[in-house]
Amino acid sequence: MVKVKVRYFGRIRELTGLREEEYEVENATSLAELLLKHIPERHNDISREWRETVFTTVRGEVSMDRNGNPVLRDNYVILVNGRVREVSYRLMDGDEVAVLPPVGGG
Amino acid sequence: MKIKVAEKLDNINDLLGEIKRSSSEIGAVTIFVGSARSIGEDGSRVLRLEYEAYEEAAVKALEKIICDLREKYGIIDVIIEHRVGWVGVGEDIVYALVASKHREEGFKSTIELVERLKREVPIWKKEVTEKGSRWIEGT
Repeated sequence: MVKVKVRYFGRIRELTGLREEEYEVENATSLAELLLKHIPERHNDISREWRETVFTTVRGEVSMDRNGNPVLRDNYVILVNGRVREVSYRLMDGDEVAVLPPVGGG
Repeated sequence: MKIKVAEKLDNINDLLGEIKRSSSEIGAVTIFVGSARSIGEDGSRVLRLEYEAYEEAAVKALEKIICDLREKYGIIDVIIEHRVGWVGVGEDIVYALVASKHREEGFKSTIELVERLKREVPIWKKEVTEKGSRWIEGT
């Protein structure tokens, strides 16, 4: 098992009602599995809104790319330990995952 | 280079003095001040703005932008400060100071710095108006 911290910002923080939380998942769990399975399972009351906010969806179904990976919504970015990662990234123990909605400072 | 993402900004005159002291080769300091407007994106009256940041990542992103600008334009130094938390109407949100030998590279760098700040740096703005609130993205 690996333990990861997930941090939420902006509209995502508002949606989950949390700034951060921890997950313990199986070894070799991908970011896609964390985002599409583990997080919505824990936050069952907002699972549909979560999927439709973070991912590109068509009639409620998450769109997949040609490699079978879910497609993030435009301008959504996932950082792991401060680096941009694809959703196929395999989580490692101690990783810090940040879910970033479109930015808008200034 | 000085980067600060915090609840309070430093005094702008102090920052100007600080950047001018960084090199005797400076011939121009270009300053951008962003402040909170009273009218929102949809035309309604703004009550306040709320900013939040992924601070560690925001500082890294700004470092990268400043390094790029140094390489591209040969500017001498940059100070950038951005607020987080609640910002009232009329209050300052961001200070960007660019020190250069000549004005042209200073103007160009300042524009690019602020544009990239809005598009690339993990800072989020929520506009709270008399009609409600909404997140403002990439404007």
